[in-house]
Amino acid sequence: MRIRARGIVPGRASGQAIASRTPFSFVGGVDPATGSILDDATGVAGERMEGRIFAFPGGKGSTVGSYVVYGLGKRGHGPAAIVNQRADAVVAVGATLAGIPMVDRVDVGGLRTGDRIVVDANRGSIELPDVKGNRVVTAILRNRGHILLVRRSEKVGSFRGRWSAISGHIEGREDPKHRAVVEVREETGLRGIVFRSAGEPVLARDGATMYIVHPFLFEAPSRRVHLDWENVEHRWIRPEELHRFETVPRLTDVVSAVLGPPA
Amino acid sequence: MRLTRAQRHLLDEGTDAQRKAMEILLTVGRLADAPRLVPITSAHVSGASYKMIGDPGLEFLEDFARHARVSVPTTVNPLGTDLAQWEELGVPATFAEKQGRIARAYETMGVRPTFSCTPYLIGVRPAFGEHVAWAESSAVCFANSVLGARTNREGGPAALAAAIVGATPEYGLHTDEGREPTVIVQVRVRPRGIDYSLIGLVAGERVGDGLPFFRGFRASEGELKWLGAALASSGACGMFHLEGVTPEAREARVKGLKSITIAEKDLIAAKRAHTDGTEADLIGFGSPQLSADELQRIAHLIERTPPRIPVWIFTSRVVRDANPDAVGIVERHGGRVLADTCLEVTLLEHRFGTVATPSGKGAYYLPSLCKQKVIFDDVETLLERYT
Repeated sequence: MRIRARGIVPGRASGQAIASRTPFSFVGGVDPATGSILDDATGVAGERMEGRIFAFPGGKGSTVGSYVVYGLGKRGHGPAAIVNQRADAVVAVGATLAGIPMVDRVDVGGLRTGDRIVVDANRGSIELPDVKGNRVVTAILRNRGHILLVRRSEKVGSFRGRWSAISGHIEGREDPKHRAVVEVREETGLRGIVFRSAGEPVLARDGATMYIVHPFLFEAPSRRVHLDWENVEHRWIRPEELHRFETVPRLTDVVSAVLGPPA
Repeated sequence: MRLTRAQRHLLDEGTDAQRKAMEILLTVGRLADAPRLVPITSAHVSGASYKMIGDPGLEFLEDFARHARVSVPTTVNPLGTDLAQWEELGVPATFAEKQGRIARAYETMGVRPTFSCTPYLIGVRPAFGEHVAWAESSAVCFANSVLGARTNREGGPAALAAAIVGATPEYGLHTDEGREPTVIVQVRVRPRGIDYSLIGLVAGERVGDGLPFFRGFRASEGELKWLGAALASSGACGMFHLEGVTPEAREARVKGLKSITIAEKDLIAAKRAHTDGTEADLIGFGSPQLSADELQRIAHLIERTPPRIPVWIFTSRVVRDANPDAVGIVERHGGRVLADTCLEVTLLEHRFGTVATPSGKGAYYLPSLCKQKVIFDDVETLLERYT
């Protein structure tokens, strides 16, 4: 599968991913002499950057980080490429000095350490040749501050019995927002919903499958829901109650993508 | 980003350093979605203190200096020690040696060895509306707010790249839109002394990366220096307006903006929050470096109330050389006037544990950058307390 990205430092590289869960500082986060990751919070301490695709949400910390990236690159201990969710100037300038290809606007939460990744910063994409992509929409319906959760039936193809928002597969080249509207009508019977916003796609990983989730927020005029065969029950909940439910992967992030992070 | 033919030429056929400089500007421009580069009349680079940039920075600068040459007048931030007095300050020889190499690398690139965070006090005063590329957050704030020049808060390597190319990505504070205020800050005190620093610290904390429009007080250029330096420390601000004082305040759009208030109690709380020391073993004046007027005034006060603990006064080499009388007074009373360096980037943690200072920027950074406890108070109060 291929994912769109924004090219920051031109170039192309491939390798196995190191995926950090947390923002990263090159000052203190890595041994500048060996390229070995020191920061425990990343979940990948001990991994060496050399030849790898280093994925992390974004840079943090001292501006000296630029020079550390330069030094790592000069000694051949730097990563083959960098993938960020939101690039910052310190890492980006460092990658430029070191000539390390870099992209951002990728939801790194969907990447796993060990994934084979091809980064193409010239075209603005990353490719995961071993992972199958599956484009879906998720519609968050809101009514007086509550959002709609539905529990998936035993008849659907994936995540049976889990709680989800209204969702469905994008077919061919159709417009994701249009698909979201159709799914809402089919699965809830609600009419007269009002589009509020669309969020950046969230990458929800399930083994060798990657769900590319396009999040949408709609205002629902009422709470009178008529479920079809795909779901067996529904609840209107406050967003902060979401953690109490056993949900499909990354539903919290999908909700945050349109509502902002939980308070 | 749209490039001119000359810029395209630098990117494709320039020296190694010119190509790298262009690449840096393109990277920064991409991050900000800048449409093009805007020509600059001066650059001011940061990243010169060995204490701050360490061996990674030294290595980069020495490598880069092999080919890099600046193409516009360029000044540079303070070093990690005074190049002429480091031995008497107890600075280790290896530190001084590496610091000297950083200074030489910048000089090789054609950077004027000003080693100052106040280029605007030593003759580099861009005119109203001029585009420049300055690093050093306090100087950025001064240039934008007080002079009406236009610069973003550049990082060290980005400012150096701009100096080499003679242009910088056009976005943010280079544009009319980016200079509009985002919040009104109503100040309900009559500030004096460290109040300007305190207003800056409080406002910076509250507005984050916004652009404050201050109301309710007057200030001299010197006082705005302290306010801006503090504002740019606790906040990510690159500019402010002050109604009736700064040159772009009259044209600024304030209608419909959210308004916040700073009162006496906020300043008292901020002063307390930035004071965690009980007994100082150094009084530090600087951050930013002192003007000639400020140096003379403090020398006069020291003569009247000579302190019993060391006093380090940070200023530029230019100001130090031009004021031998003031320097003489300070030194006769056991103090030092240090040039080439400044309070929070200088090596002082090898000797001291608690610093007393009237600088808001100093009070903000001393705990993290110098591992110091801080006593934050007015110049007169501090000198009287330690007399």
